[in-house]
Parts: sequence; C-alpha cells; structure tokens
Amino acid sequence: MQKYSIFSLIKNAFTNHQNWEVAWKDPVPKKEYDIVIVGGGGHGLATAYYLAKEHKITNVAILEKGWIGGGNVGRNTTILRSNYMWDANGLFYEYGMKLWENLSQELNYNVMYSPRGIINLAHSDAQLNTYSRRGNSMRLNGIDAKMLGREELKKIIPFADFTSSARFPIFGGLMQPRGGTARHDAVAWGYARQADSMGVDIIQHCEVTGFDIVNGKLQGVQTSRGNIKTKKIGLCVAGSTSLLAEKLNMKLPIESHVLQACVSEPVKPFLDHVVTFGAGHFYCSQSDKGEMVMGGDLDGYNSYAQRGNLPTLQHVLSEGVAMFPNLSRLKMLRTWGGIMDMSMDGSPIIDKTHIEGVYLNCGWCYGGFKATPVSGWTFAYTIAQDRAHELNSKFKLNRFNTGHLIDEKGVGTKTWIG
Amino acid sequence: MTQKYRLDKGGFIKRDKKISFKFNGKKYFGYEGDTLASALLANGVHLVGRSFKYHRPRGFIAAGVDEPNAKVQLYHGAKTEPNAVATEVELVEGLIAKSQNCFPSVSFDFGEINNFLSKFFPAGFYYKTFMWPKNFWYKIYEPIIRKAAGLGVAPLKPDPDRYEHKFEYCDVLVVGSGPSGLASALAAAKNGARVIIAEDKSRFGGSLLTDEVTVGNKKGKDWADETIEQLKIMPNVVVKNRSQVFGYYDHNMMVMFERTKDHLEFPNKYTPRQRLWYIRAKEVVASTGSMERPLVFGNNDRPGIMLSSAAKEYLRVYGVLVGKKPIIFTNNDSAYETAIDFKKNGINPIVIDIRENSESSVIKEAKNLKIDIRFSHAIANTRGHLRVNSATIGKLNEQKTNYQSLEDISCDCICVSGNWTPTVHLASQSGNKLKFDENINAFIPNQSRQNETTVGSAKGSFTLKKSLEEGFNKGFELSNKITKKNIKSAIPTSNERSNGKQNKFWCMPLPKNKNYKRCVDFQNDVYVSDIELAIREGFRSIEHVKRYTTLGMATDQGKTSNLNGLQLVSSIEKKIVPEVGHTTFRPPYTPVTIGAIVGREVGKYYRPTRKSPIHAWHEKNNAVFVDAGLWLRPRYYNQGNETLHEASKREAFNVRNNVGICDVTSLGKIDIKGSDSAEFLNRVYTNAWMKLPVGKARYGVMLREDGIVFDDGTTTRISENHFHMTTTTAQAVNVLAHLEYYLQVVWPELNVNVLSTTEQWAGAAVAGPNSRSLLEKLFPDTDVSNEGLPFMGFKEADLFGVPARIFRISFSGELAYEINVESGYGIFMWEKIMEIGKEMGIEPYGTEALSTLRIEMGHVAGSEIDGRTISSDLSLDGMLSKKKDFIGKRSLNRKAFIETGREKIVGVVPLDKKTMIPEGSHIVVDNKASLPNPKLGHISASCWSVEYNNPFSLAILKDGKQRIGEKLYALSPLKSKSIPVEIVSSHYVDPTGERVRS
Amino acid sequence: MLEIKCPYCGKRSQNEFSYGGDANIKRPELGKEISDSEWDNFVYFRKNPRGKHSELWHHVAGCRQWFKVSRDTSTHEIFKTSKLNEEL
Repeated sequence: MQKYSIFSLIKNAFTNHQNWEVAWKDPVPKKEYDIVIVGGGGHGLATAYYLAKEHKITNVAILEKGWIGGGNVGRNTTILRSNYMWDANGLFYEYGMKLWENLSQELNYNVMYSPRGIINLAHSDAQLNTYSRRGNSMRLNGIDAKMLGREELKKIIPFADFTSSARFPIFGGLMQPRGGTARHDAVAWGYARQADSMGVDIIQHCEVTGFDIVNGKLQGVQTSRGNIKTKKIGLCVAGSTSLLAEKLNMKLPIESHVLQACVSEPVKPFLDHVVTFGAGHFYCSQSDKGEMVMGGDLDGYNSYAQRGNLPTLQHVLSEGVAMFPNLSRLKMLRTWGGIMDMSMDGSPIIDKTHIEGVYLNCGWCYGGFKATPVSGWTFAYTIAQDRAHELNSKFKLNRFNTGHLIDEKGVGTKTWIG
Repeated sequence: MTQKYRLDKGGFIKRDKKISFKFNGKKYFGYEGDTLASALLANGVHLVGRSFKYHRPRGFIAAGVDEPNAKVQLYHGAKTEPNAVATEVELVEGLIAKSQNCFPSVSFDFGEINNFLSKFFPAGFYYKTFMWPKNFWYKIYEPIIRKAAGLGVAPLKPDPDRYEHKFEYCDVLVVGSGPSGLASALAAAKNGARVIIAEDKSRFGGSLLTDEVTVGNKKGKDWADETIEQLKIMPNVVVKNRSQVFGYYDHNMMVMFERTKDHLEFPNKYTPRQRLWYIRAKEVVASTGSMERPLVFGNNDRPGIMLSSAAKEYLRVYGVLVGKKPIIFTNNDSAYETAIDFKKNGINPIVIDIRENSESSVIKEAKNLKIDIRFSHAIANTRGHLRVNSATIGKLNEQKTNYQSLEDISCDCICVSGNWTPTVHLASQSGNKLKFDENINAFIPNQSRQNETTVGSAKGSFTLKKSLEEGFNKGFELSNKITKKNIKSAIPTSNERSNGKQNKFWCMPLPKNKNYKRCVDFQNDVYVSDIELAIREGFRSIEHVKRYTTLGMATDQGKTSNLNGLQLVSSIEKKIVPEVGHTTFRPPYTPVTIGAIVGREVGKYYRPTRKSPIHAWHEKNNAVFVDAGLWLRPRYYNQGNETLHEASKREAFNVRNNVGICDVTSLGKIDIKGSDSAEFLNRVYTNAWMKLPVGKARYGVMLREDGIVFDDGTTTRISENHFHMTTTTAQAVNVLAHLEYYLQVVWPELNVNVLSTTEQWAGAAVAGPNSRSLLEKLFPDTDVSNEGLPFMGFKEADLFGVPARIFRISFSGELAYEINVESGYGIFMWEKIMEIGKEMGIEPYGTEALSTLRIEMGHVAGSEIDGRTISSDLSLDGMLSKKKDFIGKRSLNRKAFIETGREKIVGVVPLDKKTMIPEGSHIVVDNKASLPNPKLGHISASCWSVEYNNPFSLAILKDGKQRIGEKLYALSPLKSKSIPVEIVSSHYVDPTGERVRS
Repeated sequence: MLEIKCPYCGKRSQNEFSYGGDANIKRPELGKEISDSEWDNFVYFRKNPRGKHSELWHHVAGCRQWFKVSRDTSTHEIFKTSKLNEEL
C-alpha cells in the first residue's frame, strides 16, 4: 500500500497525481469467508479492520448494499466525546477516545481528530447539579471533565445569549476538553483503505437477502451477488437492524427514527468548541470548512426515510438561536436525515445472539459516530473470541430481560422522545 | 460616475431613480430595479470574489439563484449578512457590499498563492497529509486551515430584525411565474381554484422577460404583465414575488420564504425582514424552469466568463452589456439569441460553435445579421488574470479530442452555453424518482409520488408553445379535480424562434502538453483533474466523488456544476449517466435565513413563560425566580443583602418555627371523574385506592411499565366518583397523557374522564406549627382542628366568600395545609393569608426553602425520581400493594430489580458538620484510590438542615440501608472536594412523622 | 410536515399531535399470569417494520383523543386513520 505523507503528496504532484493507487479494490465476492460483516459503514469497516489487525483474521468480507460510508457515518454531526455518567458507557467511550487520538497515524489517513472541547450548557442550578453528577462520575472514571462558570463561558463563547432577554439564562457548563470532532468520511475511507490492504474484501452493491441457518448454526448468507458460505457473521447495519433481524426471526428492542441535521453556509471561524444547549436539545460546532454543523431532536415517529420535516428543524434551530442569537442571520445551506437505531434504554447492543455464529452490533441511537473505533474494536473481539470483551460486557441483548438497563437520560421506552 | 456598460435605453429598470451604493469601499450608481450584480456590471465590474480553495479571481456567472461566485458581505455590525448572492440582492439606496475570502483586497489577494501551489493541493489532499507530528493537526494545521476557510464573516451580535411565519392552504400552488406557471395559475384560477403563485425574483414572467416571443399576439413580457394583473385582482388568487418555495415536504407541505424588507429603502418599522410560509397545497405545479449549464474548457473560470442566458438577461432586463467584445461559445442554438441581442445593440460578437453546422430560424437570423460564426470550433484556453482578455480557439478534430490549429482572439467576455438543465428540485424532494432524458441530456421528473406536477422547461419542454399548453392543460386538470367547474381557458397562440439540435459535447479537450485547469465547480474549486483523480483512487460512486472532491457542496449546491460532474464521471467510467445516478436533492433549494425558519420563537419568546396568578405579588416582594420547566417560581424572597443560602435558611427556619406560605400553583392538577375512578387509580398507583374514604387524600406513586418510578403526588377523593390528583410540576403534562392513554387505549371499558385543572386552581401551601391557628382565622366557620381536619383530610370551605378547598397534606414535613381557590382569586387568597398570618410570623418561602424542608424530612423529589430508580431504591416499597396488579408491577420481579446491593436512599452528614456536600458528588470508600475509583452512589440533594443547623444530604447509595453508620467519602473532583461523611437515615427530621399528624 | 386526519376533528398538521408508537402492542391483562418473555416483549421488543406501520397518535393540542394511524415508514404516506374501536 502506498504511504500517504507530505512527501508522497509532493512526489505525486510532479506526475500530475497520475500514479495514486486505488484506496480500496473492487473485488468479486468469493465463495466462502471466515467472517462476513454486513454493513460497510463506519462500524462495519472498523470491525473488519480490527479483525485483521488485532485478531489476524483476514479472510473477511464486508457486504455493503450501497456504497461504503453512505449510511450514518456520512450523515452525522461528527462529534466525539465520552462524557457519560454510567460506567458501562463512560469506560467504553473513553477507550474509544484513546483510539481516536491515534487513529490518523494508525490508519495513515488524516481523520482530522480535533479535540476542541465539548461544552454542555446548563440553565439552572438544578441542571448544573445533574451535570455535576455526570462530570464527577467521569472524573472518577479517569475521564477529563471540568465545570465552567458563566464568566468563563462569556470569554469562550461571548456571542451566546448572556443578556437579560434570554428565556433560559446560562448558569454554567460542563466541559470535556478532549471531546471534539473528526472528519466523518475520512473515518470510513481510512478504515476501508487499511482493511483492504490487509486482505479484507470490500464488496459494494451487494445486499444481504437471507441467512442459511441449520440447527441453530449459521452456514452462510444469501446476497444479491450470490450465496456466500461463512460460519460467522457480524451485523453492523444501524438504522436497518430490525429489517435484517426479521430475516433471522428476531425481534429487537429497537425502533428506527429519523434524525435530521443541517449546516449553515460557511463563515469565518468564530466557534471553536462543540456546544450543546441545555434548555432544549441542540448541538453545534463549526466545521473546518466554516459551516455551522447543527442537530437536535428526532422527528418523533418511526421512519426509514432518510429525510425529515421542517417543523423539527424549526424547533431545533429555535434552540440554536436561543443559545447563539447571531445564528439568526446565517443561512441554512443543507439538511439531511439519518436513520437511528433507537434502543429502548438509549445504549447500544454488542453481543452474540441465540443463533451460533450471528453477532449483533446495533442500537446506537444518536451516538454511533464517536463509537466507530471502539465499537469495531470490541465487536471484532466479540466475533473473534466468541465472547464479549469487558468493555462491551454490559451491552448485552438480554439486559432487556434482566433489567440491567443503561439509561443515561431516564426517559424509558419512548424512544421517539430521544 | 457614469455607468459605462449601461445601454441608453431598454431594460425594466427605473432610470429616473438613481441609487448610490458602495462596493469594496468605492461608490457606484445604479438604478432602481437593478440587482447588485447588474449595477456592478453596468459599471464594468466583473471581479467580485475569490474561489474557496485556490483563491482564483471570480466574476459573475449567472443572473439568478444559480450564481456560484458572486457571494458578498452586506453591511456591517449586527446587520451584516455573509454570503449574500449579488445576483439576488436588489439594489437599495446606501447598500454596502464587499468581497469575501480575500486579503488584503479582491484584486490582490495573498491567498492566491494557493493557486500557484495548487499542484500540491488536489482533491482530498488533506486526507493524505498533516498527520505528523501527532498533535500538530489540532494545534497547528487545523487552525491555519480554519482561518483560510469560510467565506463571509458571521455577525457576532443578536439579529436586530424580526421574522414571521404564515400558514396557508390552497388548492393549487404554482411555483414559478414563467410561461408555464402563468398559464397554470390562470387556468386553475379561472376554474375556481384557490391559487397561490410564487415567484422567486422581484419580476414576474421568467423567460418571457428575456425571450423574443409573442403570446396571444402580444410581446411575451406584456402578456406576462397582463396575466399577473389579471391574477392579482382575482379574489381566489394570491400572487407573491420575492418568494421562493424551497422545500417540498411530506403530504404536500410546501415551505416558502418571502423577502419582505431588505429591498426597501424606507421599510415600515413593523415590516418583518422575511416571512416563512407553510403552505399546505392540494396540488403543486412546479413550473420552476431550467438553468443553463456552463461548458468546460481551459481556464473557463475567469471573471468575464458567464452563461449566455445571463448575458442576455443583463442586457434585456437591466440594459447592461456584460462586455463590448464578446465571444459566444455554445453547443446549441439558444446562445445565438444572446449573440443577436449583442448585435442589435451595436456590438459585434464572435460565435464559437462546436457543432459542424446548424440550420434553424435563429441561426438564419444570426447569419442575416452577419454575425461571425465559427462552426466546429472550441475554446481551448483563456487568458486574463482579473478579467478574461483573450481566448485561444481552434478547430476541433473529428473525434473532438484535439485541435487542428489554435489562434488567440481578444475579448472582454465569454458567454457560454452548454445546454439546459431542468430545475427538478421540487419534484425530487417530493419523492419523484427522476429519469434521464437522452434528448436533452438531463434528468427530468418521472412518476409523481405526491400531488406534484412539473410543467414547462422544468420537465424538459423547452418550447414556449409546449410550456403554455402544459400549463393551461395541467392548470385546468388539477383544479378541476377540486372545483369540478369545468371552466376551460383557451390557450393563446404563440410565436417563437425555432431551435435546432444541440450537440452533447461539453468538455473541451486540452491541447497537447497543456495542463490547463478546467473548472467544474466554480466556488469549491473542483476541476476536471480532481474528478479524474477521485475515480483513479477508487471513489467511483457519484456520492463518493462528491464527498471526496466537494463537487456540488458549495453554497450554490452545484446548480451549475452537478450535471457536468455527473457527465464527466459517466464518460470516465464509460457508463451512461443514469447508471451513475445523481446525488440527492434535499431542501432547501437555496440557503434560507435561519431567523426566518425560527420565526418569533426568539429571546424571551423562545418558549412560553408560565406564571402563577400570584406572580405579581412575588415580584413586588423581591422574589428571585427560578425556571421550573416552563414555570417561573419564586426561589426565595430577598431581604437586604442576603445570599440565596441565607434567605432560604431564614425561610425554612420560619416554617419549622412559625408558619410559611409557598405558591404551589404550578403543581399538576388533574380532575378525575366517573364511576370507575377508584378502580382506575388502583391500577395507576402502586398502593390501594378502593377504600379511600370521601374527604380523604392519599399519597401515591405511579410507575412506568418498565417498573421505574414515574411520578408521585397526592390524590383526594372529593366525592364518591370524583378525585383530584396532583402531580409534580415537571411531569404534569406527561401524567395526563399517560392517564388518557390507559383510559382510551388499554382500558376503554372503565368509565372515567380526566381533565387537566392545573390552570384552574391557584394553590398555596401553608406550613408550620402556627398553620392551624392561621387556618382557624382564615376559615372561622370550618372545623380545622386535628379531629375536624386530620392529616390527609380534605374540606371545602369558604374563604371570605370565595369557595376554597383545604387539603391537609405536607411536603415540608410540618403541620401543613394546601389551600386551593379558583385562579382568579389566587391573589386575593394569598394576600388574605399574608394579612391574617402576620401576627403568627408568616413569611413566604420559595422553592429553595421548600427543598430544604423536604430533604431533611427524606421526602423524594425529581432529583431522586430521575427516571432510573425503582420504588425500593427510594424506600417506597411499602407503597407497593401485594394484593393487586398495577402498571409496571410485572417488571418488578426482574433480576436486576431484586438483586441485593441496589442503590438505596440514605442520608449523609459531613463529619465536620460544616461542609456542604455539593450535589452530584459521588460516595466512595477510598478517596485516594486509583482511577477508575468505584462509586457507591451519588448525592442527589443537599441542604443546610435548619433543624440541626448542619449540612445534610440525600444520597442514592449501593447497599444503602446496610451502610448506615459507615464513614465514607463524598467526592466532587469537579470542585476539588473530598468530604468525609457519615451515612445516616434519610429521615433526618421527625422520622416517625409526628408533626404532620399533630 | 405530516397531515393527519384525526377521526374526531378532521385533518390537522402534525404539530397538533404526539406520537404513541406501535399500535399492535397489546398490554397484557391485569393480574394475568404470563411468562417473563411475554412481558418483556410487551415492554421492550418491537417489530419496527419498514413499510406499513399501525401506530397510535394522540391529538394533544386538540380533542386529546388517542387514535390509530396506518402509515408507511419509508414514504410517510398515511393510508388510513381510525378510532381505537374501529378496524384500521
């Protein structure tokens, strides 16, 4: 594989960039693989990469029904954080943060990991206390967190509404300094390129249509490009998990909902952090291109349409303007929607299933992008070792039977409330 | 200053109204009716900006929303607007605009160094570098890139303007006022339909403004004007200009924004800046027209190179010549109209046509006018740094892969035409899967998924005759589905030039050994070589190409570049265009002001503010308010220089020792009536309700089906079949929906009705040892003795002529009552209580004192009922009936819920009896353990106990009850606090509850 | 924005309504002995189909009635709405 660097870039400039190799190949599916990963999104690509790298299993295929990186890894607001309250989430995502910190070098692909800090604004003392519970939990788990007062915030985000006309004044905020952003497409492409170079077959435009299961054991998959034999399959198809599960006669504690996001036109940088609004559900950062990247609530009803409706954006943007009144004069450039696997407690599932050889990675709700490395890492472990790693040991499917739920928000089973 | 490129006559501008404006610090003049673009062009200004990445000089390409280059910064301060499109900005007296993304000036820009180094910055270069050393990306490279990126500058002050929303319904919404739109609107309106016709520009008429045509024996423009006047006076028609329908949403919900203010020199102070319209249309006619595509050739992105249709529009609408030595470069007939217009105005254009020949009336006309036409020729390259000054043209070889000979000809503008792309955004947004039309080499709408009908050139019907026919026919058909009036309008006759066949060739070859940049996306700097590189590297899906090269991702959303990019991919991949597919069209069609989307929900009005009827009294008495959901509640009443802590201590102390009064109006109240009310409560609450006597209240806890505690409160039996339920302030709305769900969906057989009465009652809690003597004076005719109104008793009584309800319930743990009167009497009640209570030492208390009182009593509230705790965690297991089933009961036997070691509620006291334990601290065994330090639980609520005069907290603690007496640590690393604590009972004060019963 | 026909009030825009999830979920009868898995199925597990979906909506900013809606989850098309005691 060609190494990417400033030197290779300069060298290739002199041959008019005619000699760059393909980032990944376009192979014909083989008859059989040791492991098949369904879903060429971030999690699927990362899983294949870590199977090859950590477990030396390279006879692996990724089957993607469309084009790789076309799902939620390419439709998110690119936020990275591990600012969770429950240990199961906090320790898991924190391991992910450590993977992020070295990812560009590891993949030899600039994923633009940018630890610009994420700030959750609080609008009452009660909310500050709730945030303290989470922030203190983070600190005791070895995760960075600090409280910012109103005056400190005035220096960092002076354009936020600190006036007396704010409906919900800013009291302070919880900050995770190492939280930040990364370039979403680069994550998918970087994993794809490395996985491909280690021998993984990335097969696009190949839809899984069924599973061959004999006596409770997986034998292979049926696809739009023929049958493929395999003893192990990992499902990484967040958004569509229920549809594949149905082919396995499984019902899951998941509903699919559409989450919209939007960007403004690019402007010169003025917001250096990721900031979330506490008197609503709104988050905002400014991309390297200069666009304000914004998101918030679900549209609020089951949906597999990758598009939403304007009232939700109106609601979300009203929160944005309440937080940063200067956003009002910017223009909304582009909107899009992604399908979320909303699990019933808001936390993911990375687990074996009752069918031998079928492994499940789903239920990411809003949080899938930041989990990409650690999800792939733990899922690869789970598939290769046939057991959960300690990091994902709490993300069991049967927690919905035993009651060991991991509910960060405490909203229960009304997934559409988010 | 003269407008050197303004013709002496012609155009639709108002020449009697001269307007002055500033661009890049220099003063210019234009006329009313100009756009910023046309006024600048009239002054000979082409250079307006710089491209995003390479900072190449940029001029106007288009005359409308498709303009990719001319993004300017308007005004300054709070009113500044970045990225305004000069072709859409109407000229108004005093307008100030400047170029963006250039330093120190647009004509000399340091950023242009990127252009000289562009070899090293091909598509996606940033993915390949900036990785070493590790921390440099965030610290060094990224800040430099960020600073270089972005276009205009965002205001940093709140927006001083106002935006409004409007909701409309209509039978037929017609989008666009070109010939097919006017025809549709007229036909539908005459057939009795309620019609809205929306035009994005300030002038109606679309192509009729610029084309040499007649309709009904009138000039096209005159017919358009007459039709609009006709529509305007019809009562069933709304005619809107400056109004763009930008989104086609579900169930024919159309969203439009109207520009109402910025074009006015003297706006009314009540005029909103923009208005957002939500329009629910039964039928939508998309008559959105089409856009010209540029041709791609060497250095085709210099200022002065623009679309031929734009040149024609500037000439015909604004009386502006975009140049005096024009070259017209085309692969089709439509550009000849521009050539003819130049010629008729005394300018001699040269037409470069890649076709070998063409025979049509327009070509004949051009030939008759002796226009210099060079068939089989193409432009290979151009020159001119800040403005094109010459073109290298040559005769194409037969395969169109090279040139037979090359020559330079001088020019001051090049007007290009690479054919027309139907504007299919609305159809695509509505769910219509587009199809590729080989004849016009573009996508057109296919099967409608909603009530969407596309007509005219938006569906590829490029003749006036066909556009009119489609418009009239569809306007009639669609309206007739609704009105059934069968009034058909006659289709007027029309005359137009006939056009010959176009050649699809659009991307010119490079001369041998030349490596000219051929631009596809003008704003984002995407060149042919970038797209070739993307495909070389395996980014073969059109979405991959788009994301890797950023093609079509600029603020113009690729209106001029998408289809060219697509054609390029298809030719490299040797696939036909429909196989390559197209990227998704999503709303908005053009960028929409965020303020317009938000409307009036800004500042104080971001969300409603709910106030109790006693609010004014609180304000008068120095209350400091706190947000409780949407409610504003007094947090404490300030006296002198007190701190929050001192005030709340004083207030709580007064409750414990005298009597206090607290406004509890915001508590949720639900009236429950019907013969099965008791049975219903028995199912909703975890405890037993069947035998609650009339006139008695009971505390109840409700669960969610998953077993988690949902809410708590007291419910009172007013009469046999009538109950009054209270909920927490936070959950009031959710509890009502919850009850309605069970009554309507799950147990419709129950005869029960529920109704929110939160707003109907004003509530005051009167608490403290003196509260009974106060009540005796408030209600002299009512027996409020411990026997007459025992704990959990209820009475209706007369408060100086006002009917009142007295509940003997207590959240503070003191002897206490809650008095309710109808909201309108709230202030009367409050003042009466204050007046009579004065001698007993009454003081109002706010939510902070209320918290103190409940915390030291060990009563749970929202910080413990946090959506994650079950009854036994909160020591409410005594409330769980074993005899009956209730909502959520079946979940309680799940493994996790019956495990030993669950976190349970306890009290926590600091060993030094002085240090307040911050809420949100965690309890650990070892305050110096290495991380992760195992957490036993957290502090949910803290107060200064007025009873014991030391800090006291509640905690939810693992093995809580077993740990009473243990000495542990409360840690708040956020506040750098480590506090040695002792675990005690959560019932710190009056554990047996004597006071409430006294 | 969806347009939903409340069976009591007629067509209204979506912002008057709140969503209530899968209408096919039947709460087990009170007091009835059922298996753990039946109960967990009721509380947590969902069919979550792409395509036709029967669901509950609540006319919160209107008549406050719950009712049933048959809607396509991939196109958002609404086929029918009905009162709770009517066939959808």
